[in-house]
Amino acid sequence: MIPTPGSPGEGWLRLSPRKLLLDPVKAIGQAVVPLVVALVGISRSDSGFGWVILPIAIVAPLLFGALPWLTTHYRLTDTQIQVRSGVLNKNTSTAPLDRVRSVDLEASLLHRVLGLQKVQVGTGVDDDRITLDALAAADADALRTTLLRRREAPAVVPSDPDAPEGVAPAPVAVPVELARIDWSWLRFAPFSLARLVLLAGALGVLSQFGDDLPIWNEETARSTWDWVMQFALTAVVLVLAVAGLAVWLVVSVTGYVVQWWRFLLIREHGSLHLTSGLFTTRSITVEEAKVRGVEMTEPLLMRVVGGAELSTLATGVEDGVTQVLPPCPRDVAVGVGESVLEHRGPLTDPLVAHGPLARRRAWFRQLRDALVVVAAGAAATWWFGVTWWWVGLGGLALLLAAAAAGESSYRHLGHALAGDHLVAGSGILARVRTVLETDGIIGWVVSQSWWQRRIGLADLVATTAAGNERVLVRDVRLTVAVELAAAATPGLLTEFLEV
Amino acid sequence: MSDEGAGPVVHAAVLREPAHRVSPQAVPFWRVSALIGDAVLVVAVVVAYVLIPDVPGWTLVLVLLVAAAAIAHVVLMPQIRYRVHRWEVTDTAVHTRSGWIGRETRIAPISRVQTVDSRQGALMRLFGLASITVTTASAAGPITVDCLDADTAREVVARLTAITAATEDDAT
Repeated sequence: MIPTPGSPGEGWLRLSPRKLLLDPVKAIGQAVVPLVVALVGISRSDSGFGWVILPIAIVAPLLFGALPWLTTHYRLTDTQIQVRSGVLNKNTSTAPLDRVRSVDLEASLLHRVLGLQKVQVGTGVDDDRITLDALAAADADALRTTLLRRREAPAVVPSDPDAPEGVAPAPVAVPVELARIDWSWLRFAPFSLARLVLLAGALGVLSQFGDDLPIWNEETARSTWDWVMQFALTAVVLVLAVAGLAVWLVVSVTGYVVQWWRFLLIREHGSLHLTSGLFTTRSITVEEAKVRGVEMTEPLLMRVVGGAELSTLATGVEDGVTQVLPPCPRDVAVGVGESVLEHRGPLTDPLVAHGPLARRRAWFRQLRDALVVVAAGAAATWWFGVTWWWVGLGGLALLLAAAAAGESSYRHLGHALAGDHLVAGSGILARVRTVLETDGIIGWVVSQSWWQRRIGLADLVATTAAGNERVLVRDVRLTVAVELAAAATPGLLTEFLEV
Repeated sequence: MSDEGAGPVVHAAVLREPAHRVSPQAVPFWRVSALIGDAVLVVAVVVAYVLIPDVPGWTLVLVLLVAAAAIAHVVLMPQIRYRVHRWEVTDTAVHTRSGWIGRETRIAPISRVQTVDSRQGALMRLFGLASITVTTASAAGPITVDCLDADTAREVVARLTAITAATEDDAT
């Protein structure tokens, strides 16, 4: 019944035998908490029964950990890569080699100690990726090169005569370096707030434990508060702020170093290839033919110090948006972006502004949300009988902030058609510029709310298979939107235009 | 296109409306489905008003407002929607307009169409209607033509399927 996949004639290969070490260690790691709980339970119950459970609890993860190695096989035929796995449900994934769009390698610290790599092969659009966890590092590298070479092989022949793009060295696959880590970029780390979310999450988890601590009850809290209030409130706030800032500096810089250690972005075999990581190393490969555009983000704080981030928008990658640069100087982001796009301009040229009506809507959108909050605050004040003074002050501050956000979101708004690239500016506090090849546009949506119809504005959406699957040009004049769409996709709208 | 698609088009560009209306049967269909949905809402609000003891007097105004809005919705929405909803399938593109308070125009080139689905709910079957959804490789791009006459829907699906079968790109 069961085929013998191990037989060498069929070319089936197993994963690296070192996986036998990897999985049990991981399994024990996952089982350690239940194990400890069980041990505590046993020590309390005093029954001999527990000493039967203990060996099972240790041996079971080892056995289950070994199963994937025993049951997973893969092979490379002339046309396909096939992976077979599963114990009871046999699972075979197959991907045609010419459909391979991306090959990513990843190695956690444990992988690296054992000299292993996890391989993920991406194909087609939004499909599940084929995962091989794990291969010996050398095998993984060889597999990656083989897969990418094979995909590239038929494409090289026709691209030889007509090679108009001056940047890409089509005939010889010499890796071209696009960017590598420059440790002076570390100055941008504290200004990138993405990691703050993680930190907040960690604090949230800690506070969960805080509830269970015996010292944390109302009485101690009150006495602590009294103790704190002996000092000047401002001094306390100051100390807390400085301490918070110090923690943030350490966390953000450490995070940056860990994530972007030995970062290198190169172009080879018609693909973009990114490697980085201190403990967990990542190696991401995106086929350039599938890159439909780029997105440059300048978050508020980063803009103050002249920093930016860059992502590529591709089809057939897991979530379409791949960050290809760490927070780095704007010039570097623009340079890499231009070399990916093979065009100068889309990332730097001024955008067409959307006019005073769009500004009014941008302000209104932000103020409306602030007014809702203020109204809720006022209602709460009335209900609880708090002093009006605080609410008034808070409301005023909120409205001012909302007005500033509205103005900034208007200033980021804009669009342009640069050669064969559609450019859209967006973002409230962060300045975001999205550049999409017009070839990648696979449809248009023009939508108008009732308010927009009254003042002749519209939201124009270019739909695409790449990135977030839509590029939004917000609050643009309806006629301008239609002109833009008609010019970006010549011919598509012609028959629907009123003459 | 005379300007080779490089610069913006010179004359003020206005999209004309798609050629066809949806089936006239759509009006009673929309009315009945709105009636069912709104009736549930109004009954729920009224029941809550009656059952909850000691409600302040001004909540009656809210209940009446909900009822008035529901009536306006049932009376006005289907007619407005029938005037707005239009569709057209040419040899190169699918073009639709929909909405009743807002407006939404969608255009997709047929060469990028991946799937063509038609759907007929129980209530729709009662009115002899069917809807068509055309999807592209973008999650933001599906185009739905609501409430076509069932026969027209079948024809359109057949035509679209024939055209898309002839295209061999992977449509991304």
